[in-house]
Amino acid sequence: MRLRPWIYFLNKGFANILSHRFVHLISIGTISISILFVGAFGLLFVNLNNWVQQWGQSLTMSIYLVPGADTEAKKRIEADLVDLEGAEVRGFITQEMAQKELVEALGDQAGLLDGLEDIELPASFEIVFKEVSRYDIDPHEIKTELEELDGVEEVQYSEQWIERFEGFLYVLKLVGAIIGLLLCVAVLFITTNTIKLTIYARRDEIEISKIVGATDWFVKAPFIIEGAIQGLISGLLALAILLLAYSLFSLKSFHLFGIPVIEVVFLSKGHALFLLGLSLALGLAGSFIAIGRFFRL
Amino acid sequence: MIQIYHVAKHYGPSVALDDIHLRIRKGEFVFITGPSGAGKTTLLRLIFGAIKPTKGQILIDGINLNRIAGTNLDLLRRRIGFVFQDFKLLHRKTVSENAAIALEVTGERPGLIRKKTHQVLRAVGLSKKGHVYPLQLSGGEQQRVAIARAVINDPIILLADEPTGNLDPDITREIMILFRSINLRGTTVVIATHNRELLKDTDQRIVVLNRGRIVEAG
Repeated sequence: MRLRPWIYFLNKGFANILSHRFVHLISIGTISISILFVGAFGLLFVNLNNWVQQWGQSLTMSIYLVPGADTEAKKRIEADLVDLEGAEVRGFITQEMAQKELVEALGDQAGLLDGLEDIELPASFEIVFKEVSRYDIDPHEIKTELEELDGVEEVQYSEQWIERFEGFLYVLKLVGAIIGLLLCVAVLFITTNTIKLTIYARRDEIEISKIVGATDWFVKAPFIIEGAIQGLISGLLALAILLLAYSLFSLKSFHLFGIPVIEVVFLSKGHALFLLGLSLALGLAGSFIAIGRFFRL
Repeated sequence: MIQIYHVAKHYGPSVALDDIHLRIRKGEFVFITGPSGAGKTTLLRLIFGAIKPTKGQILIDGINLNRIAGTNLDLLRRRIGFVFQDFKLLHRKTVSENAAIALEVTGERPGLIRKKTHQVLRAVGLSKKGHVYPLQLSGGEQQRVAIARAVINDPIILLADEPTGNLDPDITREIMILFRSINLRGTTVVIATHNRELLKDTDQRIVVLNRGRIVEAG
């Protein structure tokens, strides 16, 4: 083909969109909203996942000693803790310190402890696994090993609730995938019908083109380009709205459940490109379906 | 140029054409006539490759239409112009754009398309109306645009199905002169018509169809 075909098809695709601008405007708007939902869900998931990962970087453990454990036992346990890979002993909390902390924590309610002088809070070691991802170690296995040590009564670690949270994240991921899939089907349906409408509106031109010897590809290509442009514009629009919302609400950082300040991040370049690619692919797929179902050459 | 061997076309139980045997030489000017329902349009559509025969073979410039399809058929159609009774113009495109569409689909360069469009519109007497829309033209002028579109590719064959069916006698005469001038430049012209007036004083070959059969081959 001597004429630069892609320039011709692009021109034709844009011309088609402009000549049926109302239909395309509605279609682009609806697709953008669907992609925006997928993007917002992705943003939420990426940040929650990020947060879990960040939190997992500083695993802490409390090793409670049996009441009345002697200095010998304490030294032996401390030596074992120091030998633990990646662990750093933060400190030792004596029974008195534990008692004091409890009183401080109760504040005005400390009177509740009156008459309970014989309550003995256990002494404990605090250890932290710094620079060690919780995915590289098995906290549950460490807990079991430590609890077998002579003089150790119980081991608690900060991860137990995170494990439960991960379960929630898994459900969230599943729900997100189902919603995302449904939205993708909706986008496909919208694109297919928009292209179907433009095919219908241009049926005379298609007929004449075929009479004068246009190849099937020549007639179909502008509709494929049209779907691609529609998908691309919708994807860009959705990303722009998402970025704008992210900037407007200044969701740069906040506290969650009162624990570590976490950085809220925008979608990575890869995620943004994936979203754009998804939108483009859905536009193209819609065009192909419309052409396959409604084109009779 | 056009060789038709024992061609039949059936639509279910109804027979549109039966045992058609016809040869049209290169550069010939042929009228195909007969009453309504005789099979004139079906014959033109068969020659154009728009429909396949139920039986028989059709060869266009040596190419067997039964053996080609898809892109090859599209490429062959670029060498065959077709003019319709109802003009089949795109009302949202200008006269120039309507004529140019036949060149656009070949992927020709825009500069050459502009040049050839101008030439063909001048040849059909519409050089000053390139920018207007078909509905702003008279019936005769619209048919000229359709003819311009059909011949812009310099086809080897020009088929016309009742091209003057919607036109008054004076305009009909003008259109026939135009077809004759196209034929004189070497294009084989085949016109299907039931207009007896058109055939009255002609010295061109006339093929007469009746009930799907050739009753006079000219």
